[in-house]
Amino acid sequence: MQFGENITLAVRALADHKMRSFLTMLGIIFGVASVIAMLSIGEGAKREAIAKYQDLGVNNIIVREKSMSDAELEEVRAKFSPGLSLNDADVIKDVVPGVDKVAAQAELSAEVRYTDKTVKSTVIGVTADFLPMMNFKVGKGELITERHYNERLKVCVIGAGVANSLFQSDDPIGQMIKIEDQWLEVVGVLQSKTLFTETVGELAARDMNTDVYIPLTTFLNRFTPENALTSQIQQITVQMDGSGKLLESSKLIEEILKRHHWKQEDYNIVIPFELLKQEEKERQIYNFLLGAIAAISLIVGGIGIMNIMLATVMERTREIGIRRAIGARKADIMSQFVTEAVVISIVGGLIGVLLGVTLSLIVSSFTDVSTYIRLYSIIVAFTFSVIVGISFGWLPAKNAASLKPVDSIRYE
Amino acid sequence: MLIEIKDMTKDYSLGNNIVVPALKNINLKIDKNEYVAIMGPSGSGKSTLMNILGCLDTPTTGHYYFNDTDISAFDDDELSAMRNREIGFIFQNFNLLPRLNSLQNVELPLVYAGVPPQERRERAIRALERVQLANRMDHKPSELSGGQRQRVAVARALVTNPGILLADEPTGALDSKTGEEMMRLFHELHSEGNTIIVITHEQEIANYANRNIFIKDGIISSDTINPNPTIVG
Repeated sequence: MQFGENITLAVRALADHKMRSFLTMLGIIFGVASVIAMLSIGEGAKREAIAKYQDLGVNNIIVREKSMSDAELEEVRAKFSPGLSLNDADVIKDVVPGVDKVAAQAELSAEVRYTDKTVKSTVIGVTADFLPMMNFKVGKGELITERHYNERLKVCVIGAGVANSLFQSDDPIGQMIKIEDQWLEVVGVLQSKTLFTETVGELAARDMNTDVYIPLTTFLNRFTPENALTSQIQQITVQMDGSGKLLESSKLIEEILKRHHWKQEDYNIVIPFELLKQEEKERQIYNFLLGAIAAISLIVGGIGIMNIMLATVMERTREIGIRRAIGARKADIMSQFVTEAVVISIVGGLIGVLLGVTLSLIVSSFTDVSTYIRLYSIIVAFTFSVIVGISFGWLPAKNAASLKPVDSIRYE
Repeated sequence: MLIEIKDMTKDYSLGNNIVVPALKNINLKIDKNEYVAIMGPSGSGKSTLMNILGCLDTPTTGHYYFNDTDISAFDDDELSAMRNREIGFIFQNFNLLPRLNSLQNVELPLVYAGVPPQERRERAIRALERVQLANRMDHKPSELSGGQRQRVAVARALVTNPGILLADEPTGALDSKTGEEMMRLFHELHSEGNTIIVITHEQEIANYANRNIFIKDGIISSDTINPNPTIVG
């Protein structure tokens, strides 16, 4: 008996009992659909996380001033810590091996004014390296250059949000904006950056589109700190050369800072890549759990197949006897019933794939949860469903094949 | 010799070490193109003998030679092949598959013989033509009369050109007129060279055969030639 005949036979047998076949399939359909949907949700979360950390730079180590109350600040200053300074940045660059670039930034919350419009903003003094390092793209004009930095020019690059609120449809390039008592010329507008909605490690969530970037030299020269206790700069971003020694380097940086800050920990060190890895590990457990639940429903579907098939074998004892009497071998009966189980699981699997894909598309378009369907998850779910079909079809098929022809042919 | 059975016994075990002998020391020879009726009351062992002759069951002791091959030690696959090639079963209740039409039912043995579809179809059509049912090929058993169903079953038995046609109470489910027609068909098949073994408890049916074998309490009580078999007009 050939494979093709078995398929025809199985399809015919299933078509004879459409409702029953469909109900048997349901278990597999939901099992496969939920495996695909779960995996796509997991994958979506993973991709979102990767994108988030890529914004922070996977080769970066970020040293950020700890946010402290005035009392705490006074205490650390009393213990001789000067807070983060350009000196720290220079030392890190000189001492830590494998450092590619070091970008210091100083910050100030201020109102930005253009004609009669004002907008609340964070003014950030940066080096020329900073914006490219953080994956900022210029939308119009130029970024902060070495020349701006070296000549302490009174220029600024504004975030897309600032440009929108102050200039609307006007061209901001070449316009003068006023921050505190300083006039600055707009030389560039940044492309809009996706909202940084989640707090990463010690880095608070914020909207980077409302920032105004100016040369760090200009910042230190023109703006006075909020009070005497404020440290010189607020953040040092260290870009490593990608040799993967982020943890070792961050330990070294910590050693340096400890010494320079007289053991006062008035800073945090964030390694986006390490956080990414950690988050991935946590998510893996979560995904595994989701996958396991989905897999269990697939197995339950398989048990459904077995249940129905066992009943079917009873019901078809006579048919089996007739087939045996006219020459079917045990193997023929066996493969006939296994094929039926496989056809159920293949058809159920295919419907399940469609349902799963639809489900994850619905989830991503109607909720905040982003999903991503990878081909492998479809293959895994489908293969698994076929394996389930074969394994749970095995026992009923074996029962069918081992019926004695003498007895089954007279079975009423 | 087509069939030779030597010192054959068949016991059934009922558990608890209770063994019931169904056949005791059977010796039997059947030649090609014989038309044999095996008779006996129920419980005599005639069904057991039929099962063994039909390769549905194996003897407990003794030998069964089919075309000089001892098949009493055949395994399940070999017995399946024997049934497929050499035995054409005709059952009392037809035993057709209800969801297949006549043609598909007749084709079925050829499917298990591995005959390619085209040839299968042609042979099945020929077998149906032989039993005058070529015009009922796409009818399902439920759409056929009892006599027609039994003729489909005969076509299915004939389609593999088996060594013997083994009929178990072939007229048991038919009215007397249809039964007579069936016997006419058997007579024709016999005269075309087929070997026919009919299991029956009706003397009338046995009278059509050339040889009558009686079984009682698991032994052959008589084995006679029927000098004047009934001829259907």
